[in-house]
Amino acid sequence: MREGLLTILFMIALTSLCDTVNQLFLKSAIDSLSFSPKFNFIKIFKFIFQLLTKPRLWLSFIFSVISLCIWLLVLSKADLNFAFSADSMHYIFIALASRYILKEKFSYFRWLGTGLIVIGIVFVSLS
Amino acid sequence: MFKKRVTLKILLLLLVSDILETAIHFFFKKGALSQAEFSVVDLPSAVIFLRAVFSSPFLWAGLLTVAVVFVIWSTILSKIDLSVAVPIASFSYILVPVVSVIFLHEQISALRWAGILLILIGVILVSLSSKERITQNK
Repeated sequence: MREGLLTILFMIALTSLCDTVNQLFLKSAIDSLSFSPKFNFIKIFKFIFQLLTKPRLWLSFIFSVISLCIWLLVLSKADLNFAFSADSMHYIFIALASRYILKEKFSYFRWLGTGLIVIGIVFVSLS
Repeated sequence: MFKKRVTLKILLLLLVSDILETAIHFFFKKGALSQAEFSVVDLPSAVIFLRAVFSSPFLWAGLLTVAVVFVIWSTILSKIDLSVAVPIASFSYILVPVVSVIFLHEQISALRWAGILLILIGVILVSLSSKERITQNK
């Protein structure tokens, strides 16, 4: 490892956090359209076009670009498998944000499944 | 109101989006690897680094794939909860090691495979959790 592990972990946390904000804005822009396209190219492109008129979508793009820039720096310094492993904190951020900001309803199955995924990813990072 | 159930079509879309997502990371890794000897120490050098990365064809192939994934991902999010879509999309953890082994010649240990198995069980549980909600609502 060429850089300090902590520096890389901090950068990965930052990119995860930016991506979570990106997903929150995207999901909230989609929910504000209050319709869902059928599986048909014309319908989907109409849906995307309407989505592109939402300011929240552009906020989500900004965060996704920030997240991408940090991610590119991380990839230039860390092993691909390691970078992906540490990115598991992303799932915790997404779960908490979905539950407390988007008010999605969580069953025990969903917490358990999300927990197993995070543990699985930590296992992957230990190896 | 939205349908919140994970249907076969949505799972298929998630799989396609995951495969493309894996391709994106592969392209980006290739794009960043071509600058591996470059050292980023401060903000100006980071800017020069990113400028070099953005001149790589791999990066542009990656960005094109990003646009396709955006369309697919938005369609998925219009149909299911964020807290279901994101964990299910984690099966890229199964795709990424396979791609790393084949194209980047990285090693995978037994513990890593155990982790991959846990992720797979987690993905199945989260998928089931969205169906469970529908039956509760009835």
